[in-house]
Amino acid sequence: MGATFVITLREAFEAALILGIVYGYLEKIKARDAYRYVTWGGALGVALSVGMGVAVTYLSGPLLDVGPEIITVVVIFSAVGLLTWHAWWMQQHARFMKGQVQHRIDEARAHDRLWMVGLIAFTGVFREGAETVLFLWGIMAQAGAEAGWGGVIGGVAGVACSAGLGWAIFHGGRHVSLVRFFSVTTAFIMLLAAGLFSTGVGRLQGLGFLPASEPLWNTSWLLSDRSIAGGFLSGLIGYRSQPTLLEVIAYVAYLVVTAVLLFGHRAPVGVPLVEDPTQP
Amino acid sequence: MKRRVALVAVLAVVLGVAAPVLAADPSEIPLVIEKNRFEPDVIKVKAGAPFVLVITNKDKGPEELDMQQPRIEKVIPAGKTVRLKMPALKPGKYPFVGEYHSETAKATIIAE
Repeated sequence: MGATFVITLREAFEAALILGIVYGYLEKIKARDAYRYVTWGGALGVALSVGMGVAVTYLSGPLLDVGPEIITVVVIFSAVGLLTWHAWWMQQHARFMKGQVQHRIDEARAHDRLWMVGLIAFTGVFREGAETVLFLWGIMAQAGAEAGWGGVIGGVAGVACSAGLGWAIFHGGRHVSLVRFFSVTTAFIMLLAAGLFSTGVGRLQGLGFLPASEPLWNTSWLLSDRSIAGGFLSGLIGYRSQPTLLEVIAYVAYLVVTAVLLFGHRAPVGVPLVEDPTQP
Repeated sequence: MKRRVALVAVLAVVLGVAAPVLAADPSEIPLVIEKNRFEPDVIKVKAGAPFVLVITNKDKGPEELDMQQPRIEKVIPAGKTVRLKMPALKPGKYPFVGEYHSETAKATIIAE
């Protein structure tokens, strides 16, 4: 029961984190009507995860051999692109808040593109979704025979616990100012996306599309990727106990490039330009 | 015209990357998952040559082969056989687990 709890908690954590941030963002810009994009994106992610779980079970041949990996890599890099866009957009948003008028203009503009957050929710859920579905399905299939129902309960509890954490992020975000929320979540998103980018590069190495390289260091004695803390750090900042040189380069390069892109030539984040107009 | 040139360039790059992967005729190594364990649990391969793990899952539930280095995660559904292309490995030990039953499903590839 404990083991299945840890696995699903880890798998679902990243999705919960992304959903918490995106819902929180919409709440902050007073765009609650756009929650539906996120809800639909997330629901579509769950539906396609189940679909992929079913497909993988019935597929065979080359489609099963490489199909899921290629989809995973595409989803990973799409998520990196979307999250980068979102971080950039939040930065723009924070900058425009120099006055009420500009704030409103920006809001109108923001609304035009809010459906994009639905895509973010979708990639966030779908990335580890199919794996979680297969895992839960597997323990249910084995529940009657070898293992007891404890494993199933643990697995479901893990997903629920992650969802609770996502909700806590959303709820906690409501009590901080908009500017602070934006700067904190921008930093979170950058680290998360850097981790995803480096994971994508690692997967390409594993698939043989990029040259393999030795792990640069090994900290699995200190913090295993498979522990709860390792899983959380992996979701938050892309922690890996044995990263390759290429993965480390990808991680650092992503951070440097986006930092220049986001904060390069204007006011740095975290410095409130004006008092937050949305706060009472 | 420019677009066509770009398309050809992209195709060339894609083929250039994919060709070595597709062209190789690597050796096949069978691996069975049964009762949440890998059989054999020590696999010896030639260093520097890509190979294919032909993994058959005889259990009732899926398993995920999870290797830290190189980073490989591959789900093998219940009752299925999956051909997993492995990159050429330098001499050394490459442990992996079945993530869904990591207490029992442990194995190591030794490249020499």
